[in-house]
Amino acid sequence: MSAQFEMVGIRQMPKEVPFKKEKWYQGKPVLAIGILIFIIAGCLCCNLFITKDPAYLDLANCSVAPGREFFFGTDAMGRDIFSMIWYGGRISLLIGMAATLISTAIAIIFGSFSGCAPKWADMLLMRLTDIWLSVPDLLIIILIQAVLGKADQLSLSFVIGITSWTSIAKVVRTEVRRLRSSEYVIASKCMGGSFFHVLWRHLTPNFISSIMFMVVMNIRSAMIAEATLSFMGIGLPVGVISWGTMLSLAEQALLTNAWWIIVLPGMFLLVTLLCITSIGNYMRKKGDGRHSNL
Amino acid sequence: MKTFFGQLAYAGKKILFFSASVLLLSITVFYISRLAPGDPLVSYYGDRVEKMGPKERAWAEEKLGLNDPIIVQYIRWIENAIQGEFGISYKYKMDAAEIISMRIGNTLILGGVGFLFIFGLAMLIGILCAWYEDRLPDKIICGMGTVTSCIPEFWLSLVLILIFAVNLKWLPSSGAYAIGKADEIGSRVRHLILPMIVVVLGHLWYYAYMIRNKILEEVRADYVLLAKSKGLKKKSVMFRHCLRNVIPAYLSIMAISVPHILGGTYIVETVFSYPGIGTLTYESARYKDYNLLMLLSILSGIIVILGNMAAQIINERIDPRMKPDTAPITEVTGG
Amino acid sequence: MSDEILLSVQHLSHSFPVTKRTAIKAVDDVSFTIHKGEIFGLVGESGCGKSTIARCIMNVYKTQEGRIFYKGIDVCDAKTFRRNKKMLHTTRQMIFQDSDSSLNQRMKVCDIIAEPMKIQHMTPKRGSFRAEAEFQMYYVGMDAEYLDKYPSELSGGQRQRVEIARALAMEPELLVADEPIASLDVSIQAQIVNLFKHLQKEHGFSFLFIAHDLAMVEFLCDRVGVMYQGKLVEIAPTEELFANPQHPYTKALLSAIPIPDPKKERARTMAAFREEDLLCGGELMQTAPGHFVLGRRKES
Repeated sequence: MSAQFEMVGIRQMPKEVPFKKEKWYQGKPVLAIGILIFIIAGCLCCNLFITKDPAYLDLANCSVAPGREFFFGTDAMGRDIFSMIWYGGRISLLIGMAATLISTAIAIIFGSFSGCAPKWADMLLMRLTDIWLSVPDLLIIILIQAVLGKADQLSLSFVIGITSWTSIAKVVRTEVRRLRSSEYVIASKCMGGSFFHVLWRHLTPNFISSIMFMVVMNIRSAMIAEATLSFMGIGLPVGVISWGTMLSLAEQALLTNAWWIIVLPGMFLLVTLLCITSIGNYMRKKGDGRHSNL
Repeated sequence: MKTFFGQLAYAGKKILFFSASVLLLSITVFYISRLAPGDPLVSYYGDRVEKMGPKERAWAEEKLGLNDPIIVQYIRWIENAIQGEFGISYKYKMDAAEIISMRIGNTLILGGVGFLFIFGLAMLIGILCAWYEDRLPDKIICGMGTVTSCIPEFWLSLVLILIFAVNLKWLPSSGAYAIGKADEIGSRVRHLILPMIVVVLGHLWYYAYMIRNKILEEVRADYVLLAKSKGLKKKSVMFRHCLRNVIPAYLSIMAISVPHILGGTYIVETVFSYPGIGTLTYESARYKDYNLLMLLSILSGIIVILGNMAAQIINERIDPRMKPDTAPITEVTGG
Repeated sequence: MSDEILLSVQHLSHSFPVTKRTAIKAVDDVSFTIHKGEIFGLVGESGCGKSTIARCIMNVYKTQEGRIFYKGIDVCDAKTFRRNKKMLHTTRQMIFQDSDSSLNQRMKVCDIIAEPMKIQHMTPKRGSFRAEAEFQMYYVGMDAEYLDKYPSELSGGQRQRVEIARALAMEPELLVADEPIASLDVSIQAQIVNLFKHLQKEHGFSFLFIAHDLAMVEFLCDRVGVMYQGKLVEIAPTEELFANPQHPYTKALLSAIPIPDPKKERARTMAAFREEDLLCGGELMQTAPGHFVLGRRKES
């Protein structure tokens, strides 16, 4: 019988060279990345080009409109807005990154743990998450801020991070639960792979793409949260310069109709958020190449 | 599950879960609000606290029951709460429930009308975008939507106030009604316009985009190909088939979104000094007005839990697989 | 093939909970042995517990009842398992049915093949992990150019070859293949089975081959066990089994093989069997040298 079967090799397929190679930048959010790099670089190297000391209270020039001396005008306390924007951007970006780092770390640990845990523990953890979600964010933030004492960059990042991990954690948990019974995980276990080997080599690479978009969007919402909280007076103190605290002087600006105090820092914030969003959207679209049937 | 008793058990389970959640929530809020440093006496006595001697302080704390262990305080609170007594607000010196009932109407109007606007418009925009997928109208709307979704709500409020209230003087910048005109509908509507725009714009794109993508997912399903091969028009495929499959998901999104939109109104309320429960929450948390804070947190917690439960029930109705106890076994059983 | 016993499964039972109260008995009191250098086939319909046995042998499922001895080591005992962990993980390897899900889509072929070596911190014999992977690829009949591809870029047969290469990279003494050819089409099945036969001759490993295709089993295996509803109903050397089936289920199974001759195919009838006959239980009895059948002893 064995004579009938012959060892058949793999058929060679003729290789086709793509007709026209796509340019490297096609379909990528080049503009957004460029602007974002420009803003980040500007904030990091702001000492080189800002004209005034951002923290100096020039009380002789309060609420001066944009002009030659003060490019973007001054705020109600006489500080130069142009310098403050570049200087304060550091804190805003830092908080955005740090808060995202904290929330993603919590989410991955919590989600993986819940995903790998037995059913009852998983149920319990998810119920606790739901209850955590049902406490208003504002309340948690105010309370944790109060417990931590004086607000600074780190405590604010921590507070924002701790309130924004749940949605990523839920995705991680679902993905881990789906992946952990797949055969390559079983295969890896059969070869003697430890829990951390499986988590690191097999699970993480598979769920990272599904949370990447959420992580990028988390930077955005963390920056919005920083600005909102500082504006409401429960974030950073006015003495610390960030895009949020700059806007917290808006009440006075409204009275004097000093539009530049409100609009200019806000525009910077908005442009940064837009760049981050379009990068996030690009990441989401990348994996989806199906066509419409309609 | 079809029997009466089965349904009764199902409802009982849901109610049990609901009350357990509310109980846990109240414990959590009670505990962390007590953990926070700060002096609740300040909100009751104002600046007089600083002039108090230690004796007077002790007497005041005794009177308000603040020097008992936390557990005793909690048990006392829950005993009263069951009888409908939620204690008095330290700041307003009034019954907490009464203050909230005065304010909650304003928030419900802002949030409720905003909610209807958001989901009505989101559906329209979502369908429009999906119809013109990747063509000019879709691209323009997507671009504009991305921009609006990036604008922080408080900043949008500021800019709107700057333009329409400060410069053009068309609309008022704060409050829910002009002084002395609490019953005038025109005044109320004029005060509502700006906050409403912010609430709607702040959430609109998130949901519109979600619906757009849900429809596009449907459009890529094989049954659309079948319907088309049978000769159905694009319009009837879209509205009879795709949309019908999107609606249930849409309902559950609506249920889940309630707390998000509520949270959004809180911020808008503070910027516009709109007298709703958002500003109240903010004040009570800052000034440690415990009784008021407890009631407000539990109230918003209940809304969140109810929203989630509604979404869960809708999902279970649509898709029996979501039901945890009737889920089919997915384990490999051999062979 | 020698007489030395490599794997011995004794009275293995395993059940899965369906609801809180009921459970399905997937494997019910199964015992068999595999000798060194032997190809042992396990056949039976879908859902009869073949995969569960494979997974119990590989310690994927915790054994509920019964004992499994590998090289005289009780692998069901947590203590002895831990003591011999490294040896067990290196000398036993498994091949899965669905190569689509048993290869991580996000790893390149060379990483997949080198994974077991990396886990066990082995120094590659041929210099680098890549060279090792290349050698294994050559061994299973694939070009080195596929090393940098992802599993989704390969065809089903190629993926199965990658899986085999991954298992062989550890030079196992026992290879457990859980329906390795079931998801492939017939011509590729033939390739893979030939490959198995060839590799087994070269390496001399013992091989537990699980399938439901009787022709392949007849071609490949030295001995065959037939399973029905969690029970092992017949074990015999291949030729003996195909020539002289004893158990009614085996008879029915063999009679269902199509004969590649239309006239004969139309003329023959399928052996019918009654469910009651099969569920009667009993114990394995020897009817010929090496031929065991499940049944009750006749009263005589």
